[in-house]
Amino acid sequence: MFQQHKKPSSMNSHESHRPMCVQGDSGLVLTTDPKPRLRWTVELHERFVDAVTQLGGPDKATPKTIMRVMGVKGLTLYHLKSHLQKFRLGKQPHKEFNDHSIKDHASSLDLQRNSASSSGIIGRSMNEMQMEVQRRLHEQLEVQKHLQLRIEAQGKYMQSILEKACQTLAGENNMAAAAGSYKGNIGNNQGVNHADMGNLKDFNSPLNFQSFQDLNIYGSGDHLDQLQQNSLDRPPLDHHSFMPNNDNINCMGSKKRPSPYNSGNSSGKSPLIWSDDLRLQDLGTAASCLGPQDDHQIQIAPPSIERGTDQIESISDIYESKPMIQGDEKKFEAGNKLERPSPRRAPMGSERMNPMINAGVRQGRNSPFG
Amino acid sequence: MTELLMLSSAMELELDLDLDLSGCSTETTSTTNTAISPDQWYDWSPVVDWESLAPIDQLAGGGDFHELIESMMEGRDGCEMDSPSSETIEEASNSCYTTTSSQSTDVTMLEEGVASNGEDSKGLRLVHLLMAAAEALTGANKSRDLARVILVRLKELVSPTDGTNMERLAAYFTEALQGLLEGAGGVSHSKHLFGNGSHREHGHHPTTDVMAAFQLLQDMSPYVKFGHFTANQAILEAVAHDRRVHIVDYDIMEGIQWASLMQALVSRKDGPPTPHLRITALSRGGSCRRSIGTVQETGRRLTAFATSIGQPFSFHQCRLDSDETFRPSALKLVKGEALVINCMLNLPHFSYRSPDSIASFLSGAKTLNPRLVTLVEEEVRPARDGGFVARFMDSLYHYSAVYDSLEAGFPMQSRARELVERVFLGPRIAGSLARIYRAQGEVGCSWWEWLGAIGFKPMPISFANHCQAKLLLGLFNDGYRVEEVANHRLVLGWKSRSLLSASIWTSPPQSDFAD
Repeated sequence: MFQQHKKPSSMNSHESHRPMCVQGDSGLVLTTDPKPRLRWTVELHERFVDAVTQLGGPDKATPKTIMRVMGVKGLTLYHLKSHLQKFRLGKQPHKEFNDHSIKDHASSLDLQRNSASSSGIIGRSMNEMQMEVQRRLHEQLEVQKHLQLRIEAQGKYMQSILEKACQTLAGENNMAAAAGSYKGNIGNNQGVNHADMGNLKDFNSPLNFQSFQDLNIYGSGDHLDQLQQNSLDRPPLDHHSFMPNNDNINCMGSKKRPSPYNSGNSSGKSPLIWSDDLRLQDLGTAASCLGPQDDHQIQIAPPSIERGTDQIESISDIYESKPMIQGDEKKFEAGNKLERPSPRRAPMGSERMNPMINAGVRQGRNSPFG
Repeated sequence: MTELLMLSSAMELELDLDLDLSGCSTETTSTTNTAISPDQWYDWSPVVDWESLAPIDQLAGGGDFHELIESMMEGRDGCEMDSPSSETIEEASNSCYTTTSSQSTDVTMLEEGVASNGEDSKGLRLVHLLMAAAEALTGANKSRDLARVILVRLKELVSPTDGTNMERLAAYFTEALQGLLEGAGGVSHSKHLFGNGSHREHGHHPTTDVMAAFQLLQDMSPYVKFGHFTANQAILEAVAHDRRVHIVDYDIMEGIQWASLMQALVSRKDGPPTPHLRITALSRGGSCRRSIGTVQETGRRLTAFATSIGQPFSFHQCRLDSDETFRPSALKLVKGEALVINCMLNLPHFSYRSPDSIASFLSGAKTLNPRLVTLVEEEVRPARDGGFVARFMDSLYHYSAVYDSLEAGFPMQSRARELVERVFLGPRIAGSLARIYRAQGEVGCSWWEWLGAIGFKPMPISFANHCQAKLLLGLFNDGYRVEEVANHRLVLGWKSRSLLSASIWTSPPQSDFAD
């Protein structure tokens, strides 16, 4: 799906459209457009590359330093800036291409010095390179968009597995204790499932959150309120919805400042919130199942635990009962900004995160994979 | 996070030194034996840290080596052993002496270069103890008693749930060595803390733990996604114009790889309409009853997912024979399908599959003339010799890189990391050490080499695929890197250590298809 980009069928066809070029006294070749552009001749490009190398590589070099090192009259920061940008982007995948084209045209260098007409040949190779860069850029954007979607799909799928695991666990846990006493109302659960709810509250306590610094970077303080509120007045469970707990997500998703964890819900990138206070082991399996959910507000649905035994064998219902959300990935597509789960970089991402992702989460909440 | 890095490089250096020294260790031994008395030696070599091997008061009192060892051996608890005769102790201490004295040379050399703050030096000490234990277990001066003593001491120093990364890692290696020590005589079926690694199922961990750990692993590291996405991208490119796609998956596990593929198939804009996707999962035959249930469950889950996004899909399973070999005739093939063979091996969360089984699958697959074979495997450093100690150290280095990468990404969540370590990494360490131990002298090769050898043709990794891997790694810590090797393998590494390798292959053209 990525190899559809067409190469220009014939480079020669471009010849006729190219504006005339003039060679200035400093050796720079400028177009005769109303807005003269610089022609990056091979020679000039080589000087550029030399300068960049001298400065420690394309990532270290800046337009200003390059301009100083190159010392070519008439070359502006503007020219260098855009060329450096292209160079940086194009360098990696392009190495062979550059070498190749430069070698090819090395013989024409002499000609080029004396006659402006030869710059057509050079220009073509540079043009070709430029187009290649563009193509790669475009491809990279595509890849980025697709990657986002794939991560989200995988996250959704993972979520369904986790839910199943929790359900099974809930079955085992509740079998003896309170079979049949769950009527889909959370109130009952709090009575019966004391231990679990206790854990929930533990996790929700602000203390735990504060101890986990990273969260503060993202979370507005009201996360906590929201959290606690949610754990207290959770709406009656809907037996047919796959993830009733997504109400939490709903709340958070509608916040003005979305936290990356909301999208973590669908993309599965929620690790930041695995607080150190999480007693994964101490609390036993229930906790390791519940833990992440409570810290994140997402991922694993404790209601599946609260649902109790009458829900266990209904896994098949769950698969069959729910309609598919067809247009879902359209929404995700809108957000092609990839967020980093790493605490170090994520803050930027969180600010720029596309709210559409949340919208997608919200609308998909009744589907097992929504 | 310099600690482990320094260790890692130290280990590499050490590996070299160790190999260099192994040739002349006998001479070294004899010289030191005559030249230096134990007391002097003790002063002279602070590094192997005999202090750590015994309570201080005893050292202060005696300094007699035999006594020291003896006291330690008596002091061991819960370790059943026939009461050692004085000869064995003598022997043990002698070889102990041997091992350490030969090591102390490189150790001293090493330490000169290493700034010693507390953690680093403890880490180094652990590494040396582990190496000494491995040497005692298998080296030229084999002494199981000595190995036992060292392991007892190690166990006092480390815990799989506490302490630094290196300490936790050392704990699993200690356990693994202990398992080897106890199983060394006969079948290795020790019921050790972390289970028997060679046939690890997740059985001894509750499912929820496994799933939570799996989720964490995916969140904390790019390992799982790298394998899946790279393979999937290759598949997408290979079947861009097909109406029917059939993927045969060697080890489908929870099927998580396929969610993203389906998503990609339904969302491709140009080209033909969404192709029909058929997945055949291989399930283990006979011995593992649970396996089929799990595969069925995966099938249901995948079907539900496919339905939810509108992907035409069907799911099949194909049983491996009871010895886990693959019979191509057991596969149901339909004409006109693009056949893809998917082989994910050794991703951190995967269970161990025997080389025979894998070989039967891949060579069987070859007779089916598949459009594409996707292979993801652990990157193993070719062993310079088949020696246990060298491979042991290499393994230690490998896993320290994995631990390191997890920690760097999520320094605060040590609890979460512990879970991942306990569920996935610990058992793997035990398993791989057991295999190295049993396969002493053999030099294995990578599966990608093997695929090339049986006549598959490597396919270039596309720009998009490479790009995707880079972007993916960009979502994680900076220490990860991906490298294209020989234009047909993508290698994922942590810092200087390569960890996973993904490669794609195709059948040779029919004409020179000689099988």
